[in-house]
Amino acid sequence: MLRASAVAEEAGIPSVSLTCEGFIGQAATTATGLGLPGLPVAIVPGHVDVQTVDELRGNVTAVTVDGVIEGLTVAPKDAAELVEPEPGDVVFEGTADEINRFFYENGWSDGLPIVPPTEARVHEFLRFTDYNPDDELGVLLPDKRSATVRTVAINGVMAGCRPEYMPVLVALIEAMADPRYGVEHSGNTPGAETLIVVNGPIIRQLGFNYQQGALRDGFQANTSIGRFWRLYLRNVAGFLPHKTDKGTFGNTWRVVLAENEDALSRIGWTTIAQDQGHVAGGSAVTISRFTGGTVLASVFGSAPEQMIPYLADGIARLVAWEVMFTVGMALGAQRPLLVLSPILAQTLARAGLSKQDVQRRLFEHARIPAWKFERYLGEWTNLAPGRPKLSELVKRGRAAAIFGASDDPERLVPVVARAEDIMIAVSGDPLRTNAYVFAHNGILGFPTTKPIALPAAWRTLIADVAGR
Amino acid sequence: MVLPAGQRASGEWIDDTLRRRAEESGLLSRTPLAGQFPRHRVEVVRAADPVHEVNALFQGRGWTDGLPVMPPTLGRVGAMCASTARAPADVLGEVEPLRGVATVEKVAANAVMAGCAPEHFPVVLAAVEALLDPAFNMRGVQTTDENVAPLVIVSGPLAARLGINAGFGALGPGWRANAAIGRALRLVMLNLGGGWPGAVSLAGLAQPGRYTLCFAERDDTPWPPLRVELGYRPDQSTVTVLRAETAINVTGGLPEVASVMASAASAFTMRYEGRVAVVVAPFVARRLAAEGLSKDDVRRHLYKEARIPVSAWQAWWLRATARDWPAWVLDAEPSGMLPVVKEPADITVVVAGADLAIPQLAYFPSWGFPPCRVTREITPPIDLIG
Repeated sequence: MLRASAVAEEAGIPSVSLTCEGFIGQAATTATGLGLPGLPVAIVPGHVDVQTVDELRGNVTAVTVDGVIEGLTVAPKDAAELVEPEPGDVVFEGTADEINRFFYENGWSDGLPIVPPTEARVHEFLRFTDYNPDDELGVLLPDKRSATVRTVAINGVMAGCRPEYMPVLVALIEAMADPRYGVEHSGNTPGAETLIVVNGPIIRQLGFNYQQGALRDGFQANTSIGRFWRLYLRNVAGFLPHKTDKGTFGNTWRVVLAENEDALSRIGWTTIAQDQGHVAGGSAVTISRFTGGTVLASVFGSAPEQMIPYLADGIARLVAWEVMFTVGMALGAQRPLLVLSPILAQTLARAGLSKQDVQRRLFEHARIPAWKFERYLGEWTNLAPGRPKLSELVKRGRAAAIFGASDDPERLVPVVARAEDIMIAVSGDPLRTNAYVFAHNGILGFPTTKPIALPAAWRTLIADVAGR
Repeated sequence: MVLPAGQRASGEWIDDTLRRRAEESGLLSRTPLAGQFPRHRVEVVRAADPVHEVNALFQGRGWTDGLPVMPPTLGRVGAMCASTARAPADVLGEVEPLRGVATVEKVAANAVMAGCAPEHFPVVLAAVEALLDPAFNMRGVQTTDENVAPLVIVSGPLAARLGINAGFGALGPGWRANAAIGRALRLVMLNLGGGWPGAVSLAGLAQPGRYTLCFAERDDTPWPPLRVELGYRPDQSTVTVLRAETAINVTGGLPEVASVMASAASAFTMRYEGRVAVVVAPFVARRLAAEGLSKDDVRRHLYKEARIPVSAWQAWWLRATARDWPAWVLDAEPSGMLPVVKEPADITVVVAGADLAIPQLAYFPSWGFPPCRVTREITPPIDLIG
């Protein structure tokens, strides 16, 4: 809302943003990050979702209208000049315990101990990139702070990464800064959390776990890089709970998922990075925000016909209100992720199915009654106001034809717009017949892939690390 | 230390503005370290005598009222915050004129510095909310060249439980709660609002009530207490703030109070439709009640008797300076005598002070606009609920 208002203000059109009471603090911080600290907001008391029409009318008349009038008639203030430490400043000296307390109390840590980002440690990280420390990878909202290579190294040190992870960390922040990903939405209330998927030779070089316990902590590369992601959102982008991060419940950061590329190559399937258009051979990271996930235990059957219905049911079951990213808020932006254990992928491939064949079959089966789709959108929620019928949305060009095949409320409709919207990864215990499915947060964290650029001296550097 | 200084919603620290104002006003010698501090939530101070060091730093940065402060350590601020169910990051509002954001934690840091105990904190929070009500006109109070201060009156059972004195010497020294709660509000006004004397606050003389001006109302009186008059239940506790000029002590009875009210002391009260306060000793309250007077009767009496001759009014400096007087003043001009308040309800009457056989009263004239008597309920401190 504030971002739309900022665009209007910059175009010379006065704005005022209607803001529910619980969001005033976030609005102020967001407005500042947008360079318009005085961006007008009009308070709506409470939250509109739980008010009757009369209550809402009363609140708007008593409180909101005055704010709207003032907001439209008073010019916003100019941007403020903030004082922050200079790059390379030493902000504190003390023991490890003192440094941890100091960083935590100043909001620079997630509550777990950090590795103190000393000059020496940061320097060691910077050896593993050909970028200069002051190179800017992008500018991140809400704080509108420059994402420099130096701050990547600092947060990598703090998260417990090793210096040689640096190329992955840089690629991740390039992805974070990519407008297609939409990092500025990271403080929204459903509180979805990013999953990082890593592909390529870097998996083995850095020792990522891609086998049993692939999503479990306990492996330094997977764990510390997952933590790095969240520290960077906190310390550079500026997402802080109770301030700019309004996740109602939120989620712990996820450990990095590495694909089992041996298993993939044996069955001739593409990787997630390749599905995203990345050329084979190099390494890449793919980031995407997921609202939640669940395990599909004990997939039973030796043929696709036996397996697909259960896997598809998992997807259809998990993509609930999130269908707003299929039809409604954004068209065709729902990208659920199905993670298959290698043995499941191999069983499907044995029947002659490519990954694309599996996607098509999942698309055919991952369906729900039209009435339920419509209730997710506009009855149980108010995500698509006015309780629109899918068939009307098709007629208005707001949904693909497949959603309006008839007016029968019991007809089955897909939960994603296209077969290829269902992402499939292969990882986890190679010989256990379990799968995992994630529902996706749509354009508020869209899948974004970046190649991992290695420094020219990578072979020497990594050999040196291996020899230690 | 949790830094007690004001940060705007936009992230700027008000101290940068204050340093410029202090420089322009030639007052930097009072605060030579203004604006010089790490721009973080917390700062580590290391010294052989850390309490002394914190005080030296905070004095130099302009974060005190001139008296030593209790260092706002994380532990002390945390204990303060733990006495309320509100989250430390909760925003109470922005403190005019420099608009530092009053979060629960920022207010707590200032309350620690002022000497509050954690159980006093809910009173401070309620009082800050009252001060941030637009009716209080914080901007005007902070920047005017007049000498106004917030007058804080606590009413209800929490006053006795928290040791807020309503009896002997209620307006004087010796009572930690009265001293610290009032002082916490002043530190909030200085550190979050930026009301630095001479640089932002242009009060020519100011008044001792700017250190603290907080007392409780006695409950053992024949009249309904303030909170009940204002629509609260007897078992609730409230804090009420008024904009007050300094206390004028009057010994005698209603005629003596009326004579003080009917003087140039009430000039700004009349000019701005102020709401005044009259504190009545228990002895006087009992005597008046025995004569059959209710609080309303007392207000009506004072309203009727406290009249200023038009000729005296016309001779006032303020009369010559300010042209636009309220209609009720001008309407009364033909009668030759002017009331000092618009209506009897503008006189707040509370009972406080020692139960001595001496007829003591105090009159607090008002300054500023709009009419102000803001009340908030006090949520009991958490460790007293269970």
